[in-house]
Amino acid sequence: MTNTRDNDTWLKDLRAGGAQRNAALAELHTMLIRALPQGLSRLLSPENPEFESLIEDTVQETLLRVLNGLDTFEGRSQFTTWAYKIAVRVALNELRRRRWRDVSLEGLEGDEANNGAARQFASSDPLPESVVERAEILQRVQQILAEELTERQRAAMNAIHMQGVPMEEVARRMGTNRNALYKLMHDARLRLKRRLEREDLNPKELLEMFEQ
Amino acid sequence: MPTNNKIMKSIFDWFSRRFKKWYHPDPMMVILLRSLAMTEEHEISCDDVYAVLDQFVEAVHRGENVLIFMPLVRQHLDMCPDCRAEYEALLSMLQPSFYVGAR
Repeated sequence: MTNTRDNDTWLKDLRAGGAQRNAALAELHTMLIRALPQGLSRLLSPENPEFESLIEDTVQETLLRVLNGLDTFEGRSQFTTWAYKIAVRVALNELRRRRWRDVSLEGLEGDEANNGAARQFASSDPLPESVVERAEILQRVQQILAEELTERQRAAMNAIHMQGVPMEEVARRMGTNRNALYKLMHDARLRLKRRLEREDLNPKELLEMFEQ
Repeated sequence: MPTNNKIMKSIFDWFSRRFKKWYHPDPMMVILLRSLAMTEEHEISCDDVYAVLDQFVEAVHRGENVLIFMPLVRQHLDMCPDCRAEYEALLSMLQPSFYVGAR
């Protein structure tokens, strides 16, 4: 379906009352119904019994948010792209909530990785020199991680990067929001990076060494 | 009777397996090091990205070099799986026929 309105017309029609607004809403509804499945195709199969209801619920919620947020549209993009952005946020948040609602975050916070790293150095078997050097550096990095990351940061990183839990869901479980969680993670990454630099350790060089 | 090459290979494989666990980091650390390698002093937030995501996606859709005029958005998308998923979903929703001409 072709977008028949320019941005100013969308705003004018949606701000108008009666039939003019209803016609614009109907057109936007149709466009969303057609475009949204394409946006969600990688995340939810159209064969899924929840697919149609998710699309319809998302579109209804999106239309409400669009009407309430008309004054926040700055005209830097197509009006429809702006509306699609809202729809994507609504749909993905709902998908994340459904997918992870029954998963315990505590169950994702295991510190097996660090315990495993500690066990790596438990043996006294002789090792080739280069391997010893690599093992020593690995131990130093593990120590830095243990010293610099809080439990909260470690749990969040583990859930997001190892278990694939969406940041939105991790943030909700932690009683915060995605924006604040990103900042928490950024602060943690910065602190780790600075500490590594102080110890003459470069993340890129470490990766190259470990991936040899 | 195995050949010498096969014996050597089996010994090499045994050593590889034996020593690998001593000096290889766990997957969590590898992921963390990758993210540290991409970490910048100044990064924008998820809200900042959301505010311009429609504009950014249209630029990508038009084939513009977003690394030049929106490098911070691009960097955030590399770091944030949630924002990246929203970016990919939005990009896939755009069709040329929807364009009438933004302001």
